[in-house]
Amino acid sequence: MNTSRLGTRTDAGDPGSARVPGGTPGATTPPSTRTGQRAAGSGRRPRWTEDRVVPYLLVLPAVLIVVLLRIVPLVMGANFSFTGDGDANGAWVGLDNYRTLWDDEVFRTAMKNVGLLLLALPVAVAIPGLLATFLFLKVPGYRLYRSVYFFPVVLSPVIIGAIFNVVLSFDGPANQLLEKVGIEPIDWLGDSTYAMFTVIGVHIWATFGMALVIFMAGFATVDQSLLDAARSDGANLRQTVWHVIIPELSQTIQFVFVTTMIGMLTGMFGLLYIMTGGGPGGATYLPELYIWTQQGQMNRPALASAASMVLFVLMLVVGFAQLRLLKRATKES
Amino acid sequence: MTAVTYEKAQRLYPGSTTPAVDALDLEIRDGEFMVLVGPSGCGKSTSLRMLAGLEEVTSGSIRIGDRDVTHLPPKDRDIAMVFQNYALYPHMTVAENMAFALKMAGVGKEERAARVKEAAALLDLDAYLDRKPKALSGGQRQRVAMGRAIVRQPQVFCMDEPLSNLDAKLRVSTRTQIAALQQRLGITTVYVTHDQVEAMTMGDRVAVLKDGVLQQVDTPLALYDKPANLFVAGFIGSPAMNLIEGELREGHAVVGGHEIPVDRAAAAAATGPVTLGVRPEAFRVVGEGQDGLPVKVTLVEELGADAYVYGTSGVEGTPSNVVVRVPGQVGHQKGSTIRVTTDPTAVHLFDNATGRRLNP
Ligand SMILES: Nc1ncnc2c1ncn2[C@@H]1O[C@H](COP(=O)(O)OP(=O)(O)OP(=O)(O)O)[C@@H](O)[C@H]1O
Ligand SMILES: [Mg+2]
Repeated sequence: MNTSRLGTRTDAGDPGSARVPGGTPGATTPPSTRTGQRAAGSGRRPRWTEDRVVPYLLVLPAVLIVVLLRIVPLVMGANFSFTGDGDANGAWVGLDNYRTLWDDEVFRTAMKNVGLLLLALPVAVAIPGLLATFLFLKVPGYRLYRSVYFFPVVLSPVIIGAIFNVVLSFDGPANQLLEKVGIEPIDWLGDSTYAMFTVIGVHIWATFGMALVIFMAGFATVDQSLLDAARSDGANLRQTVWHVIIPELSQTIQFVFVTTMIGMLTGMFGLLYIMTGGGPGGATYLPELYIWTQQGQMNRPALASAASMVLFVLMLVVGFAQLRLLKRATKES
Repeated sequence: MTAVTYEKAQRLYPGSTTPAVDALDLEIRDGEFMVLVGPSGCGKSTSLRMLAGLEEVTSGSIRIGDRDVTHLPPKDRDIAMVFQNYALYPHMTVAENMAFALKMAGVGKEERAARVKEAAALLDLDAYLDRKPKALSGGQRQRVAMGRAIVRQPQVFCMDEPLSNLDAKLRVSTRTQIAALQQRLGITTVYVTHDQVEAMTMGDRVAVLKDGVLQQVDTPLALYDKPANLFVAGFIGSPAMNLIEGELREGHAVVGGHEIPVDRAAAAAATGPVTLGVRPEAFRVVGEGQDGLPVKVTLVEELGADAYVYGTSGVEGTPSNVVVRVPGQVGHQKGSTIRVTTDPTAVHLFDNATGRRLNP
């Protein structure tokens, strides 16, 4: 960037002195010519001198990596989603795959479950947010809680899934506990009304520690004297959180929202695979599991591509919408 | 009546063995401008924060007017605080910052706006009401912090080094502005600073603290004229008072064989070794042949109207640094030796063992 600006200045300003900081002795146009050019076309677009090319060369590797490893596969995937599977392999089928998705009960359930995830998102953010607030306010024993809360994060979803399969099985400890307080046992994972909520709950339990750490890092940047000021200005805890802490943590909250959402949409595969396998009756499908099933089990990669594109667009839209909303919600006008 | 009373107020931070503020007894009168001054870490901020309710009182009590506020939360104390770094809410505009406390107190929107406007006019902030603190200069932020306190019309102002983030020149002008403003509003004010010049120029009375212990409370002039102990003597005044160890002999002090006249009553009160305290302006240079303390000049600070001569007393044993104020433009030379003496009334005597003042 800098070099490029220098180059521009070279053409507009004094060629003699400006060339030195440019530091490119190889790129020599005779001074006389340059002066002539300048006189003839002030305000004209400068030529492709080495000064101007080098910066582009320097960013090229980064751009190439992004393009080759991100953009190209994305475009290929998008393209692939318009082709057929099986016999029609490779043939252009237009929007057929998307129509198939739309008509597929399981995919519709998956999308509905995405809706559930979005509804659960505020909870998934509020829990670590509140806990981090308490830790920040140094409730008694906060050191212990800090490490305990983070602990599940280091466990693999497979292990967590296995543990909760035991805990939540119909005659498992959770239901025994309910029975003690006189509540009918619940088929946590086998009843299609509860299964999705159960898995979401376990996912939140398993991952909130990471969000908690991010929140705590955010809290570390909050100016303590602002809290003193709020206290002497007569704000109670709720008002302090609302008027001072949340606006101060605006960026952190946005970040946690987006990462948590991405985590939910792309990180629940392990749990689903271990705990429900998408059942009962396809009730706990999420796009990710659906993609895997279509691609790996049903051998319909093009359909899986279409589902991937839907997931991608969905995340894009939700992510942007969130940022917009949150920016407004967390800052006082 | 909004006098403030500290009664044996103590603050022991958890985990430390010595209290940050120890048995503070201090009475601040209604409408008074009280300055707490002392070196860093002496417990000024802690004392102030105890009053504001931001720091727990370990023992003793604090009263505002007739109310015992020792264990009241800050919001029930009716105190406004100005912080050293101003602590303005970064995401709120100047107006919102100033109105925040009123909003928390449930004051209506209209009245909030009116009071903010009034305070803004007082502080010359009208033009900045819609700006965020980030877009203000240090001096403007300082005024917003003041404004935030003023709009509340509290019973007591607490200010913790509100000028220390300003440049020297602005500090001097703001100093007088704050003092004038306080006088006009007549609100009892406790002001913390480590700068004794600030303390002397602003305070109706000044409380000097050291290591969490109150040393002396009095008007600036009384502190200057009658420091209660060696610490106050050395702390108040710039350049500092000359403190020279000496012996008492028959009604006068002897420093390295040179006689310095002292107050008879003070000398009579002495029981052991003493330290003599003489302000730089109380020394006078005597001519050749007359007896006086010899001072070898190391530096002359010429201020125009007068000059400060810095030197070492040419006394065998323990030579000490001496500052003497002399008329300006006399031209004492570096390396030369001058002889100085003083009047008995200008010599403060302190007991070496206790540090206490011996003069009546
Ligand atoms: N939160 C704390 N925990 C433990 N000790 C503290 C705490 N805050 C202050 N102290 C100690 O209490 C003493 C008084 O601190 P205080 O902040 O009141 O000093 P100060 O007079 O305001 O100093 P300064 O001029 O540097 O602001 C210091 O020795 C300090 O180390
Ligand atoms: Mg302090």
